[in-house]
Amino acid sequence: MALQTAEIKPSVPSSPLVGFWKVFSRNRIAVFGVGMLLVAVLVAIFAPVIAPFDPKSSAGIGIADIYNRPSGTHWLGTDDAGKDIFSTFIFGARVSLIVGFFASFISVVIGGAIGLVAGYYGGRVENLLMRFTDTMLVIPDLPLIVVIVALTKPSLFNIIFVIGIFGWTTTARIVRSQTLAVKSRKFVLRARGIGAGNPHIIRHHILPLVMPILVVNAILVISTAILNESTLSFIGLGDPSAISWGQMLNFAFSRGAMSAGAWWALLVPGCGIVWVVLSLTLLGHGLEQVLNPRLESHHLMPGRPTVQSDAEVVSSIRSGKKDAPILLDVQNLSINYVNDHKVAKAVYNVSFQLHEGELLGLVGESGCGKTTLMMALLRLLPAVGEISNGHIYFRNQDLAALGEDEMNDVRWSGISIIFQGAMNALNPVRTVGDQIAEAILKHMPMMPPGLVNARVIELLDLVGIAAEHKDHFPHQYSGGMRQRAMIAMALSCNPQVVIADEPTTALDVMIQAQILELLDDLRKKLGLAVIFVTHDLGVVAEMCDSVLVMYGGVTAEYASVDTIYNSARHPYTQELLKAFPDLSQPDKRLTAIPGYPPKLDALPEGCRFAPRCPLAFERCTVEMPALHLLNGGDHIASCHLVENN
Amino acid sequence: MNRWRYIRNKAGWSLFTILFVVVLNFFLFRVLPGDPARQGIRDPRLTKETIEAIRVRFGLDKPVINCVKTITPFRFGDCGVNPFNTQFFIYVRNLLHGEMGVSFYYNRPVADVLWERLWNTVILIGGGQILAIIVGVLFGIVAAWKARTAIDYGALISGLVAWSLPTFWLGIVLLFWGSNHGFPIGGKSTPGMSSYPFLTQLGDISWHLFLPTVTYTIVYMGEYMLIMRSSLMDVLAEDYILTAKAKGLSTFQILKDHALKNGMLPLVTIIALNLGYTVAGVIQIESVFSWPGLGGALFEAVVRRDFPILQGGFLLIAVSVIIANFAADLTYSYLDPRVQTTS
Amino acid sequence: MPDDIILEVKNLKKYFQAGRPGWFARNETFVHAVDDVDLQLHRGEVIALVGESGCGKSTLSLTLMGLEEATEGNIIFEGVDITHASNEERKKFRQRIQMVFQDPYESLNPTQTIEEIVTEPLIVHGIAPKHEERRERVRRALEDSGLKPADDYLYRFPHQLSGGQRQRVVIAGALVLEPHLLLADEPVSMLDVSIRAEIINLLADLRKSRGISVIFITHDLGTVGYFADHVAVMYLGRIVEIGTMQDVLKDPQHPYTKALLSVIPVPNPRLRKKRIILEGETPNPIDLPSGCRFHPRCPVVMSVCKHSDPRLMEVTASHQAACLLLVR
Repeated sequence: MALQTAEIKPSVPSSPLVGFWKVFSRNRIAVFGVGMLLVAVLVAIFAPVIAPFDPKSSAGIGIADIYNRPSGTHWLGTDDAGKDIFSTFIFGARVSLIVGFFASFISVVIGGAIGLVAGYYGGRVENLLMRFTDTMLVIPDLPLIVVIVALTKPSLFNIIFVIGIFGWTTTARIVRSQTLAVKSRKFVLRARGIGAGNPHIIRHHILPLVMPILVVNAILVISTAILNESTLSFIGLGDPSAISWGQMLNFAFSRGAMSAGAWWALLVPGCGIVWVVLSLTLLGHGLEQVLNPRLESHHLMPGRPTVQSDAEVVSSIRSGKKDAPILLDVQNLSINYVNDHKVAKAVYNVSFQLHEGELLGLVGESGCGKTTLMMALLRLLPAVGEISNGHIYFRNQDLAALGEDEMNDVRWSGISIIFQGAMNALNPVRTVGDQIAEAILKHMPMMPPGLVNARVIELLDLVGIAAEHKDHFPHQYSGGMRQRAMIAMALSCNPQVVIADEPTTALDVMIQAQILELLDDLRKKLGLAVIFVTHDLGVVAEMCDSVLVMYGGVTAEYASVDTIYNSARHPYTQELLKAFPDLSQPDKRLTAIPGYPPKLDALPEGCRFAPRCPLAFERCTVEMPALHLLNGGDHIASCHLVENN
Repeated sequence: MNRWRYIRNKAGWSLFTILFVVVLNFFLFRVLPGDPARQGIRDPRLTKETIEAIRVRFGLDKPVINCVKTITPFRFGDCGVNPFNTQFFIYVRNLLHGEMGVSFYYNRPVADVLWERLWNTVILIGGGQILAIIVGVLFGIVAAWKARTAIDYGALISGLVAWSLPTFWLGIVLLFWGSNHGFPIGGKSTPGMSSYPFLTQLGDISWHLFLPTVTYTIVYMGEYMLIMRSSLMDVLAEDYILTAKAKGLSTFQILKDHALKNGMLPLVTIIALNLGYTVAGVIQIESVFSWPGLGGALFEAVVRRDFPILQGGFLLIAVSVIIANFAADLTYSYLDPRVQTTS
Repeated sequence: MPDDIILEVKNLKKYFQAGRPGWFARNETFVHAVDDVDLQLHRGEVIALVGESGCGKSTLSLTLMGLEEATEGNIIFEGVDITHASNEERKKFRQRIQMVFQDPYESLNPTQTIEEIVTEPLIVHGIAPKHEERRERVRRALEDSGLKPADDYLYRFPHQLSGGQRQRVVIAGALVLEPHLLLADEPVSMLDVSIRAEIINLLADLRKSRGISVIFITHDLGTVGYFADHVAVMYLGRIVEIGTMQDVLKDPQHPYTKALLSVIPVPNPRLRKKRIILEGETPNPIDLPSGCRFHPRCPVVMSVCKHSDPRLMEVTASHQAACLLLVR
C-alpha cells in the first residue's frame, strides 16, 4: 500500500538516531551480536585482570606441565609449552581485535574513497578505478598476503598493513554502486539545480546515504580481517611477540596436540575466533536488516484461510447491464490484513455483480483497496491478507471457499488479470512466447506443441504484435508492447472475466489510448466481461458500463456510468469529479479534495470519508453509513445524506 | 552479436589481469627482501665469490629491466641494454616455456612439482564446490520458500555460523574427530597402495578425500545458502511470480520455472567473485589434511622458505582463479538473456 | 517591451553522443534530444511544454537550468546570455530559475528534515546568514506552499508526509530563493487525481501573487488546460505547434496536436467522441525519419512530407505550426 499519513500532528524535533535505536533494539540477531562483541572487547581490555597467569613468563613450568587436561588450576588445560591456555587465550583476544579493527580501518578508508570517487565523478576516473578494483578482486588475496608476509617480517604492523591494503575491493564495489544509485536520485539533481557544488552534495546528500551501507560492510571487513589474521598465524606467519588464537592453533597442531589427544588445546582457540567472527556476522546481518528493511514476505507464502462471520446480506444489488446473465457475484466481501495481531480492515463489505460482456470500472485513490479487492477475487492476497467475510460466486461455486488446487483451475481459464506494470509482471529471463505458451499448457496440457505455437502467434497477432517478436525477451519490447503482450497472455485461456489493474499507468498518452482502444475492441469481439481498475475518471467515462467508486476500503457509490457522472449522490464522487480536469469545460476551476485518504491502520470511526467531506455533520463522525439502495436498487451510495430518499 | 562483444571484453580483461599478475609476481619477489642471493648475503659463511656465483646462477647479475639495474636498493641502469638480456624478459620467456625455476627443497623444476599438485587441488575444489552449491542452493530454496518459519530461522542461523567458522579450525576439529573414527589423518593415499587394483586405489583416495571435502562443503555451503535465500526472497516477491500464480501454476512449477533461474543469477556472480576466497579456504584445508595440492605447496613453501615454489604457486593459483572467473562470466551470459542483447 | 521578456531561447540544440567511434571505426551517432527550439516567455506567464516521452521536453528543461550544456543556440534569461555561463555566473542565475521535479518521493533526501531541505538553498547561496532570519524565510516559503502552520512540518522527515505534501515541500524549497522562473517537470503526474488539482492551483496562485513565470512540462494536455497561457507541443526534439492555449485547444493545426487532444478523456459518458489513435510509437531519436519527422505516423500524410521538412509557419499572429498542410 502506498505511503499515506493521516492527520498531521505538531511535530517535535526527533533525531533519526533515536528511531534507528528503536528498530535496532527490536532486532534480536543484531542485539545478540552486539552482546557477544561487547564481551569480547571487555575481555580484551581487562585481559591482565582476568588472566590467572602471565602468558609471557615461563617461570616454574616444567616438562610435566605439557598438555595437562583442564583442571582447577588450569581451567582450560595447558599447551605444548606447559603454559596456561586460558591466560594465553584471554590475551589472544587483544591480537584478534586489534588486527581486525585496524586492518579493516585501512581497507574501509581505501575502498570507501575509491568507491566514492569512482561512483560520484564517473567517466574516465571511474573506468580506471573500477578496472583496477576488478583486477585486484580477481587476484586471490590470501595467497598474495601469504607471499608478502612471508617475504617481509611477520610483525603485527606488517600483518595489519598487508591485510588492510588488500581487503578493500568489496568495499570499493559496494560503495561505488551505492554512490551511483544515490547520485542518480532526483534529490541530487535538485541540489545541483539549487546551485550546490560537489563538496556540498557529497557531504549532505551522498555520504548520509552511503554511510549505513559502509558501516555494514565495515563490520564484515573486520570479520574477514580477523579470519585472515588467524589463517596467517596458523600457517606460521604470525607475530611471535603477540600470541594470537591462530598461533595457539598453529603450535598445538604442529606440536603434537593431535597425537597427544589434547583436544582442549585445539578446541579453545578456535572457539575464540568463532565467537568474535560470529558476533560480527550476526551484527552485520542484523544491521543490514535494520538499515535496509525488506519485506520478509513473498508470493509463495501460504495465504490465510477464509473466515466466515455472519453475513449481513444486502439484497439484490443490480446495476449495469441488467439484461445479461450474471457471471461474477461478489457478496459482502471483507478483507483484513492481519499483522502482529493488529487487524487492518482493508476492504469492508463490498458487493457487486459482473454481467456477461459488462465493463465495470473500479475507481478510487491509491490505497483505497481496489487492488486488494481484485487480488481477493483470484485469491492472490499476500500472506497477511485474509478474506474475513463474504462470498465470490463464479460458475456456481464460491471462490472464497475453494481449495488451492481447485482455485488453480479457475485462475486464468476463468478469470485472468492484466497487471499494472507489465515490465515487472513478465519474467525477464524467459521469452514472451514461452510465457504465453506456459499458461496455455497449464490449462490444456494435452494440446500438441504445433497447436500451442499457432495459438501463441494468433494471440500476439490479436494484440498487434508481429509473430517474429514471439521469441524475444521482455526487455526487448517497448512499454506499450509489453502491455499488449500481457493482454495476449491474459486472453490465452479464453477467460470469461478479465481484470485490468491500472493497465495504462506509466504509459504515454498515445500508447495509453492505443491500449484502451485495443481492450475495448477485444472485449466487444470476444464478449469478455472486464473489471477495469483505475484512478482516471476520464477513462472510465469513455469506456465503462458501470462504475464502483471505493473510498478507504468501502463502497462509496455504485451505479451505471451515466448515473455516476450526471447524478452522483455521494459527496466523494462529486468531489472527485470536481477535481478532474475537463477540457470540454475550460472555465471550470479545479477544486481539490482537502486532506488525504485514511491509512488502513488508522481508519476513522464513522464514515471513512467524513474527515475530508465538505458536507459532513456530527453523525458522520460516529456512525458508519449503510449501503443505501436508490432507484430501486440500480444505484447504491453509502452516505447518511441519501438515507431518506 | 552483443554477447560476443561481452565475451570478447571479458576475455580481453582476463588476459590483461593475467599479464598484471605476471608483472606483479616478478616485481613482488624483487622488491621485497626475499631473493635467495640476498638471503644468502646474510649468511656469514658464504664468500663473496659464492654469493656472486649464486647471483649468476639465478640470473640476478643481469639488469632487472631496461633503465633499472636493481630494485632494492633502487638503482637506475643503462636504458640501452639489450632488452632480451634483462631479468624481466628472461622471466617472461621462461614462463612462456613453462619454466618457473627450480625448487630449493625438491631440487626439481617448480613447474613439475606444481603441475602434479594442481590436479589434486582441482579434484578437491571441484567436488567440494559442486557439493556446496547443490546443498547450499537446496537449503536456500527451502529456507526462502518456508520464509519466517522455524525451518527458515534454523537455516539462517546455521548459515551464519558456518560462515563464521575458520576453515582450518573446522578442518582440525573434523580431523580430530575423524582420526578417532577410522578416518586417515592426512595425505592423498595410504602408503603402499600403488600395488593394489585401480578401484581399491580409487576407494582409498576417496576415503582420504572425504573429510577435506566435508570441511570445504560446510564452509561454503553456508554462504551459498544465505545468498540463495535472500536472492530467492527477492525473486519470489516480484510481480512475475504473482503473474505465474495467477496463471494457476502450482508452487512447484513456479519455483522450478520462474524462480530458480532468476534466483541463481546473483549466486553465479558471487561464486565467480568468491573464487579468490575459495582458494584461501583450500590453502587451509590442504595444510590441515596434508592434501598434496597447490595450497599445501604454498603452505610448505612458507615453512621451508622455498621461494621459487611460492612464486610459481602464487602465479598458478592467481591464473587459475582468473580463468575460472572468466568461465563464470561466460555461464552468466548464457543464463541471463539481458547480457546477450543489451550492451 | 523587451524588458517584459524573461526568457528567450534561440535555435537551441542539445545532442547526446549515442555511440562513440570505437576501435572498429563506427560512425559517430547522436541522439537529437532537442533540435532547434525557439521560445519566448514573458514575465508572469505560464507556458506548457507538451509531448510524449522521448520528445525532448525534459532535456530542454535541464538545458535551460544549465544542468546540461547546450550543443548550439542561445538561452537569454533576463537579458543575459546564460548558455555557456561559468559556474560562478550560473550560481547567480540559479537563484532566479528554480525547478520542481516529477517524483516527490525521489526528489527529497530521506535523511534530511523538511527544515533542512528548505534551508539548504539559502545556505548554498549564503542568503540570510542570521539563523532567525533564515528560519523566518523557510517558514514563509512553507506556508506559501500551503504547509500551514509551518512549525508542524519543520522537524518531519519526507517519509512522514504524503505525496502531495512532499510536492509542496519541493515547491517551498524552490520558493525560498524567490525565483522569477519556475520549471515544473511533470509535477503532478505521480500524484493521485484528487491531489493534482491542489498542486496546480498552488502554482496558479503563486503566479498571481508573486508574478512568477512558469514552464510547465507535461505529457497530458488535460492537466494544464486552464492554467497555461501558451502551449508548445513537442515531437522528436522539435516544437511542432505553439500558440496561446485558446488557439491550440480550439483550433489545433498540426495532426499530432489534433491526435493528442482527441485522446484526452472527457469525464462525461454522454460526450464520448472519436479518438485519433496514432499507430506505433515515437521513433528512436537517433535515426530520425526523413522529411517531416512526424510523417511515418501521420494520419494525413502526403507524398511531399517524406522529403520536405516543414518549419514553424504562422497561422495567426499568436499561433504557429510546422505542417506542410499549411502551405496550401
